[in-house]
Amino acid sequence: MSATVSAADAWMRIRGLTKSFAGELALDRADLDIERGQVHGLVGANGAGKSTLIRCLAGVTSPDQGSVTIAGSELQMGSPQASERAGLAFIHQELNLIPHFSALQNMLLGAPKVTRFGMIDWKRSGVAARAAAERVGIRFPLDTKVSELSVAQRWLVMIGKALTRDASMIAMDEPTASLSEPESEQLFAIIRDLAAQGVAILYVSHRLEEVLQLCDRITVLRDGRIVSEAERGALDKKGLVRAIIGHAIRTPDERDRLAADRSRQSVFSARSIAWKQAVKEVGLDLYKGEVLALGGLVGAGRTEFAHLVVGLARPEAGHFELDGKRLDVANPSEAVKAGIALVPEERRSQGVMLQQSVAFNINISTLKLLRSVPGLPFVSDAKSRRQAESLVAHLGIKTPGVTAKIAGLSGGNQQKALIARWLNAGTKLLILDEPSRGVDVGAREEIHDAIRALARSGVGILVISSDVEELTLLADRVLVMREGRVTGELTGADITESRIIELSYHDAHDDQGEAA
Amino acid sequence: MTAETVPVAKEAPQPRKSSWKRTALIGLSRYGTIIGLLLMVLFFSINAPGIFLSRANFLNILSQASLTAIIASGLTYTLVVGEFDLSIGYVASFVGLIVTGLMAYEGFPIWLSIVCALALGSGIGILNGLLVTKVRINAVISTLGIGTMLTGIGFTYSAFPIATGIPRVFTDISLGRIVFGLPNPVIIMVVVLLALWIVLNKTDIGQKMQAVGSNMEAARLSGIRVDRIKIFAFATAGFCAALTGTLLSSLLGSGTLAAADGYLLDAFAAVFLGSATLREGEFHITGTLVGVLILAVGFNGLSIFGAPTHFQPIFKGGILVLAVGMSALARRYAASA
Repeated sequence: MSATVSAADAWMRIRGLTKSFAGELALDRADLDIERGQVHGLVGANGAGKSTLIRCLAGVTSPDQGSVTIAGSELQMGSPQASERAGLAFIHQELNLIPHFSALQNMLLGAPKVTRFGMIDWKRSGVAARAAAERVGIRFPLDTKVSELSVAQRWLVMIGKALTRDASMIAMDEPTASLSEPESEQLFAIIRDLAAQGVAILYVSHRLEEVLQLCDRITVLRDGRIVSEAERGALDKKGLVRAIIGHAIRTPDERDRLAADRSRQSVFSARSIAWKQAVKEVGLDLYKGEVLALGGLVGAGRTEFAHLVVGLARPEAGHFELDGKRLDVANPSEAVKAGIALVPEERRSQGVMLQQSVAFNINISTLKLLRSVPGLPFVSDAKSRRQAESLVAHLGIKTPGVTAKIAGLSGGNQQKALIARWLNAGTKLLILDEPSRGVDVGAREEIHDAIRALARSGVGILVISSDVEELTLLADRVLVMREGRVTGELTGADITESRIIELSYHDAHDDQGEAA
Repeated sequence: MTAETVPVAKEAPQPRKSSWKRTALIGLSRYGTIIGLLLMVLFFSINAPGIFLSRANFLNILSQASLTAIIASGLTYTLVVGEFDLSIGYVASFVGLIVTGLMAYEGFPIWLSIVCALALGSGIGILNGLLVTKVRINAVISTLGIGTMLTGIGFTYSAFPIATGIPRVFTDISLGRIVFGLPNPVIIMVVVLLALWIVLNKTDIGQKMQAVGSNMEAARLSGIRVDRIKIFAFATAGFCAALTGTLLSSLLGSGTLAAADGYLLDAFAAVFLGSATLREGEFHITGTLVGVLILAVGFNGLSIFGAPTHFQPIFKGGILVLAVGMSALARRYAASA
């Protein structure tokens, strides 16, 4: 450890923070110093204790042991009000904003307001909010409804809300998960600015590049313990990954990448697909055995394209071909019958059936195979359990058992269960939209292995990812989309983060005004 | 991605808090209804041993419960797929009127009248389903609208109770005791509930219904025809309502306007009581049966103790609020577990 600041001087001192759930230590004697004016990165795999730490600070969870001292006075634990009074603000991935309220109303939500004759005086109440808006560089009118704002703009509103309350520390959880690259850059600028103004930032993210680039100090948690603490520049990405998972991962050049071979059979093709303003003249061929990826920015039309393929919407022009035959699907059911499946972007709202068991979630697309007697619609419990157990073992899904509720599994294991759903379903084309979003580094590698194995076994794989690094790790060939069009193709050694980013942003500065 | 998308899933749910208090609470929310039922039986047995605790009275309770159980199980299906059916009481009344009309006015044979009645109920259910899935009217509005219309259509068909010209054989259906000396409606209830239980728990379509109810979008992407599954659930609800209406007419020996309207609230109370039974806020047939028995035992006890009839709605409404409250609490514990 290289603690340069002497502990007594630190603005916030966390000492011996310990919390266990059901006898398992979620946080084990964590010591941490946070300074005002610093961007402090907090990284670790899922379940490493990041959320528990933050929840303790927020007063949502009471620690079993330990204390937090802020500017010399001890913070009352287990009280969200006390945490707020101490100047701590928390911004979660799910921004807690009311869509039908204006940005200003949202910023003032819960704050004391100036009233006149019992009515809220919005003008005077808004003074602090307007000043805060100025500080974070909000350029849209504050009376805009939040539902009309982009995700990036909503983040600005949340930060503005924190500043309106004079927050001296803002904790941010995965802020860039739904932001495009320029939007992220903009957010980083604001974060640096806030730090310069003396605000402490606690930055939680799975995106390590970001953390390395942005944070003055990085703390790594593993299994509830702080395993590493480093000043900016003391750790590189490899070192950071090793600290997070406890061992090194493969780099892109060490893995085998299938050479693009046009002579191979095309599994799936799209011919001049067009839909509304989102998808324009998209054509592509997916060859047997390869992992084809669609790169680009959020909003480039990739998810919409996937929805057209699986029949959630119908293309206005163009057509698809599967195994050389023209494909016409009116709905996802017909797509599944034809052998096309989608593992959707929003795991929770479109993928898992949370209150159901792991087996139920895996088997739901192959009920016909699980009948007790062929021809009769009865599902055999024994066959269901056997199929689920074999797929759980095959993909290494970590679960207490196949009858356990899927809600109790980590995001990575839920994602694997969603992939398992299609392994016995006669799938010819599997589309995976953001397959490792919100999944930790270790699970991501396992998901990638499973995807690659599927491709090599002959299933057509189309991956959509906004995670540039994931594209370099996973894809045999990358098509980059921008504003509804395929703007470039990368193969072999050309698949690099910089090339993908270049193609994604090519004259993207036109859009930047909008993002602001 | 649009700005309106649901936020990305949060990782690794919080580990379970372990405390005996919590375990007890979850236990209470799961077994509370069954414990409540047993306590009621115990209370009435002790305080009215001669009257309550007799074979005749138990058969009486089961007989009363059977019509509610059938209609409530149909309603359970619509709730399993995440929808609602407020028309069932009106469907039962309407079909009960039509079935007697077919026999008394149109001279249909009994079997044909019943087949037509059940087909009519299923058809109304399918119409409800189409309105909800294809036209996309909120289920509360469409089923209430259809139900209200049926009241008027029934009035148009016959403003007066149809009591003459109903064959004796028809009334014997509900009064007879063909198997083991059990009242026929009880046997019919057992058959219907068993069939519905098997379909829901052991067949393709049952699994698909549960999938649709758990996460409609995920079900759609899994290749399930969500609309068809929902229409099937509405059709089942309509069929069960028609069966209850037909049995009620047989029991009353007449077709009467609005005779079965009250089953709507009974069915809802039972189904929500059931959703807090054994499972954590899920709708299921076994739970619904427990809910129906709670109502039936309660009504029976009230009448044994000579409570004025206006106590029944107080009990019924009270138990509905209690049921929904318990279901909500069970759900909350399920969600935070």
